[in-house]
Amino acid sequence: MTDLRLDGVSKRYGGGGGTSPDAADEPGTLALRDVDLTIRDGEFFTLVGPSGCGKTTTLRTIAGFEDPTNGRVSFDGDDVTGVAPERRDVGVVFQSYALFPHMTVAENVGYGLQFRDPPTGTSRDDRIEHLLDLVDLAGMGERDPAQLSGGQQQRVALARALAPEPSLLLLDEPMSALDARLRESLRRQVKRIQTQLDITTVYVTHDQSEALAISDRLAVMNAGRVEQVGSPREIYREPATRFVAEFVGDNNVFEGTVDETTDERSRVTVDGRTFFLPALPDTADRVTFCVRPDALSRAAEHNRFTVAVETTEFLGERVRCNGRWNGRLIVLHVDDPIDGRSADGDLTVGFEPSAAHVVDVE
Amino acid sequence: MSDDEPRHDRPSDTATGRDVTDRTGVETARIEAVTAWIERHALTLLALATAATLAVMLYVPVAIVFAEAVVDRGSVTLASFADVLSDPFFVGELATIAADPLALSDHLAGIWGWLTAISISATAVTVPGIGISIPWFAVDTPSLRLGLFGFTAYQAALSTFASLALGLPAAAVLAKYDFRGRRTIRSLTILPFVLPGILVAVGFYATFGRAGTINSLLGVVGLGPYPFIEWNPLAIVIVAHAFYNAPLIARVTVAAWEAVDVRSVETARSLGASRRRAFVDVVLPQLRPAILAGALLTFIFTFMTFPIVLALGGLELATVEVWIYDRVSRLALTEAATLAILETVISLGLTYAYLRYESAQSGLSATGSPPPREPLFPNLRSVVSPRRLAIVGYGLLALVVFVGPLASLVLGSVTDGSGFTLRHYAFLLDRQLEGESFQTLPVRAIVNSLLFGLATLLVAVPMGVVVSVVTTRAGRSGTVVDTLAMLPLAVSGIVFGIGLLQGLVFGISLPGGWRLQVTGTVAIVAAHAVAAYPFVTRTVSPQLDDLDPALVESARALGASRGRALLDVELPLVASAIVAGAAFAFAISIGEFSSTVILATGSDAYTMPVAVERYLGRRSGPALAMGTVLLAVTAASFVVVDRVGGRFEQ
Amino acid sequence: MKRRTFVGAIGGGTLAGVAGCLTRDESGSPNSGDDLSGSPKSGTITVATYDSMIDGTDPAGTWLKEAFEEAYPDATLEWTTAENGLNHYIQREAQDASLEADVYLGVNVDDLARIDDELGDGGLFLELADDRLDRTDRIRDGLAMGDPHGRVRPFDTGYISLVYDETVVDAPETFDDLLDPAYEGTLLAQNAQASDPGQAFLLWTIDAYGEDDYLEYWNDLAANDVRILKDWTESYYGAYMEEERPMVVSYSTDQVFAAAEGYDMSRHQIAFPEGQGYANPEGVGVFDRASNAALAHTFVDFLFSSDAQAEIAQRNVQFPAVAPEHVDLADDFDQYAHEPPEAVTIGYDRLRGNLDGWVEEWARDRTGL
Repeated sequence: MTDLRLDGVSKRYGGGGGTSPDAADEPGTLALRDVDLTIRDGEFFTLVGPSGCGKTTTLRTIAGFEDPTNGRVSFDGDDVTGVAPERRDVGVVFQSYALFPHMTVAENVGYGLQFRDPPTGTSRDDRIEHLLDLVDLAGMGERDPAQLSGGQQQRVALARALAPEPSLLLLDEPMSALDARLRESLRRQVKRIQTQLDITTVYVTHDQSEALAISDRLAVMNAGRVEQVGSPREIYREPATRFVAEFVGDNNVFEGTVDETTDERSRVTVDGRTFFLPALPDTADRVTFCVRPDALSRAAEHNRFTVAVETTEFLGERVRCNGRWNGRLIVLHVDDPIDGRSADGDLTVGFEPSAAHVVDVE
Repeated sequence: MSDDEPRHDRPSDTATGRDVTDRTGVETARIEAVTAWIERHALTLLALATAATLAVMLYVPVAIVFAEAVVDRGSVTLASFADVLSDPFFVGELATIAADPLALSDHLAGIWGWLTAISISATAVTVPGIGISIPWFAVDTPSLRLGLFGFTAYQAALSTFASLALGLPAAAVLAKYDFRGRRTIRSLTILPFVLPGILVAVGFYATFGRAGTINSLLGVVGLGPYPFIEWNPLAIVIVAHAFYNAPLIARVTVAAWEAVDVRSVETARSLGASRRRAFVDVVLPQLRPAILAGALLTFIFTFMTFPIVLALGGLELATVEVWIYDRVSRLALTEAATLAILETVISLGLTYAYLRYESAQSGLSATGSPPPREPLFPNLRSVVSPRRLAIVGYGLLALVVFVGPLASLVLGSVTDGSGFTLRHYAFLLDRQLEGESFQTLPVRAIVNSLLFGLATLLVAVPMGVVVSVVTTRAGRSGTVVDTLAMLPLAVSGIVFGIGLLQGLVFGISLPGGWRLQVTGTVAIVAAHAVAAYPFVTRTVSPQLDDLDPALVESARALGASRGRALLDVELPLVASAIVAGAAFAFAISIGEFSSTVILATGSDAYTMPVAVERYLGRRSGPALAMGTVLLAVTAASFVVVDRVGGRFEQ
Repeated sequence: MKRRTFVGAIGGGTLAGVAGCLTRDESGSPNSGDDLSGSPKSGTITVATYDSMIDGTDPAGTWLKEAFEEAYPDATLEWTTAENGLNHYIQREAQDASLEADVYLGVNVDDLARIDDELGDGGLFLELADDRLDRTDRIRDGLAMGDPHGRVRPFDTGYISLVYDETVVDAPETFDDLLDPAYEGTLLAQNAQASDPGQAFLLWTIDAYGEDDYLEYWNDLAANDVRILKDWTESYYGAYMEEERPMVVSYSTDQVFAAAEGYDMSRHQIAFPEGQGYANPEGVGVFDRASNAALAHTFVDFLFSSDAQAEIAQRNVQFPAVAPEHVDLADDFDQYAHEPPEAVTIGYDRLRGNLDGWVEEWARDRTGL
């Protein structure tokens, strides 16, 4: 279907140019800074980041609702910067569903078919029926949107966006108005449909777990910049920046000074405690590294320290403990029950050097 | 939206590059491409057309007169402003500040001295004529010289409060209760709007005068006559302003009320809010922009009031517009323009402040179904509940204030010194049948009024909607454009008339001895549309602003052009506001006098209010008869307009 | 009228509205006094006037057109009215826009002063050629409008007087009487800024008390609670006819209307304080860019024929401008239209340069601001 590229896209708000939910409407707000992205044909690609990071602005720039201040957007190598949204052949689903309240469900789904023909050999009605089927809403065509539940409304919005066979599907936080259970089932449905239709999809969410669960690849954004692009596995295991490390999944981040580096390992001091990490570059003086909660184990032989546990959360098989070490917040997962006692109090844990992921060295 | 729409109705087929290889050939493709281009740029084209109309019909004429204030023998000067601003007659105490703006401490000391001299005392006031004393708080302020501008603003503020006090209960009754004739009454609330000032004055005298209807009724029970008008001329002027403007406030408020989503009220009630709390917390915030818009329009109108103050209040209640009229009739255009510019600056300043507020109020309401109306009198016992009694009391008051003057006019048209007569109508009939071509014929006036009204509606609604679309969600620059777009309301009608005369009727000199003149039918409709579209904008903008922007964006992503998205999605959702605005546009056109009479000069494009004025000689009968015809035709068309409009609203 | 005619007419109007956008300026050269353009007996003249001349009840305009065209079969008379009266033509002249009229019917003395202020002395109208006007020597003494440039002739006149309710007040003998407690809260007047009778009444008091003392008189009048409303219509049909007050500044022909409308005559008594009425003669003038000044002169002269004088007087409810032997009025007109023992008016010379100041000072005093 479509390859999508953003080259050096920047967006500055101010002078009354437009508004975005992501950026305060004060003059000179830089919402996007030099964003480069390549999204491959048929890929499920997610933009994730905290609110105000520019992910929605990026999506709106792709859709054509915003014109970039600098840079270009291209579909399949064609520059579409400045092309009106109605001529970009994209389908968009919004967080607010944005169903047309004065039209029936079928009329909503059929709306785009006025402007783009249904696939050859299909009538408009067939197409509408087919899509309602696809989102499990067969027979609901004559209802008013207001009569549907939130999840149903969002599925109508999805069917409406897909009806004209767009070459690109853009989803702007489509689940965030729904409850957790519904969100999960709808997420699976979206993923199934996306796979089935093999449509290039850009998905915006602030929920990193959702992003990890659903995406082929994702981009983590912060303050208008892309911090890292990669598969969920890469992003989770090898965060490129401290921001990604902290934003994606629970993580424990440490900064220390490098005392000594041998061929096998480096010795690092964090808050007066010595840790051993896999060998760092010779030149490294300071290091930032992270350890996932699962990698902190009471059985580990190395790098042990004692955490003062403050709260625990029961997760089923395991218990998440939130505590402090030398004033730092530490998150770790332990088996339940912990030796027949609760996880309150002090807990001594450690991690293997190989479990530490180095984010930054200086 | 039908399923079997023919292909050529979908111009974007060509835009997306599909199916152009039609056997009908290149010609068709070219036409389709042009159509497609037009559809894609429909909104831009409409905006350009609106801007051009405004330039020719508003900005150029107004600029011609305003230039008189600042251009003296070819050089720019602010001398005339300095003259006005340092004359205590015009600006009161402010003149001392304008004379010596830097003597700050003196000015502050003056203000402090005034504030410390205010005293409040309890006293008793005797109600005149009845002799009952009621306790009253007297606020004793040392006399403050208001000046002409100060007094004008003061009476406008009082009139605005009175109009709110009379208009909001009407809105509440019309929006919340169901009763026989509700729709018709809602339609008829427009009537005061189209009435020439002279008829309102005569109607008020006929109602509240010593020999008027009310005193006649009181006479039956042995009371009166009371000099209602002379007791307090300012109060009567304010009531007359409310007569004009309370219906305006009621109409815009009802329109907003009908767009309130019942679910938001239900949510509040389910969260434990009482009826009153739900109203205050949920409904009122959704109504506030409309109420404030109505109040703003009322203030601006009454700030520029002209015939009513002098007719009912007398010269001691003179306003700025009285002085402008005097200057214009003495051809002292420099001073007229100076005063008019100051008036406009004040009106636009207020408009800008309001619009800043309005734009901060977005996203309050989803469009939805309004709360269901309850029957006004579900049963006989309910009549005596306090709420119902208050409504009945308000109804009686409305009867006196609104129906009284109108009924008195009608009564005046069928009476003379010896009682009932139809000869005033016989005059109209005779004029119609026997009248010469240079005379004013009643039926032509009626037909012209209706045609212009309809044409105005057709022009003003797109203009108003375009301005709304361009300015909504466009941030501060949008507010500035929106403010400037309200100029027709903020310019003195007298000055606008002179501008039209000098600019369009006399013609603008072009090189080569040519002259650009715009008069007659087209010019009248354009002038009416210019006067009317701000009403469309003011009713439509708040609701448009409340729509989820994602609705339009969804439509556009699905392939609709900006114009198409407007037509398919936004307009149906703000239909109630458009119908309200269209009704205003129609009413403005029917009632418009000052520019019509100037542009109709020398043609037979006169309207009903012009006919009223022309029939007004030393005898009042023919003018009253024509005024009654004006009322009847307007009433009938409004019932029709609202019924037809009601269909669009569904 | 048939529907189709309407549609046609409106359609035509629409076309004219669009097509009439661009015009070429006519090169209208001013007529000189002895060499008048056009033929004195044929062609078309356009006469500009005020609304009630042609649109009121039984207006003089229809009769004038018919009679004039009958007397001069090759001539055509077209009527036109402009919203703001003579100012319309002053402004057109000032902008060199075409006047589109030849004659103005209804010029007041103060109009002449304003013409000269705006356009220079002797502007807008041509000096009427006396050798073309046989009948103007019939004009009564005391109506002369005092124009040093001889541009206008008075064709009728009205008198401002007081109309009162004899069941409530007696006729005031003098202006000072109006300051008497007996007349407290009885008088309705009009704003001299915007109303002809209002301005005439003000000028009358200026004539009586002099320009140094009239404001003081008015302050006393205000202390006796005079009410100054907008215009004649509101003060008469609004306040006076609804019995707000028993006395109003109005025309001395008031009873003609009262009789026609069947009103009780006791409320329509005429008072001439000081034995005077303020004369407001209406004049006729020929624009100096008239396309047919010769025929225009013929029309002016026609206005002073006995028939025309009688018809104008009775239909406009004004007094003829010619001496009584040249006009024959109906008996009931004579019965109800009262002429003051003495007519006063302030002529061109005194008005010029003073009027605006007098009115402004008076109006500022009255607002109480």
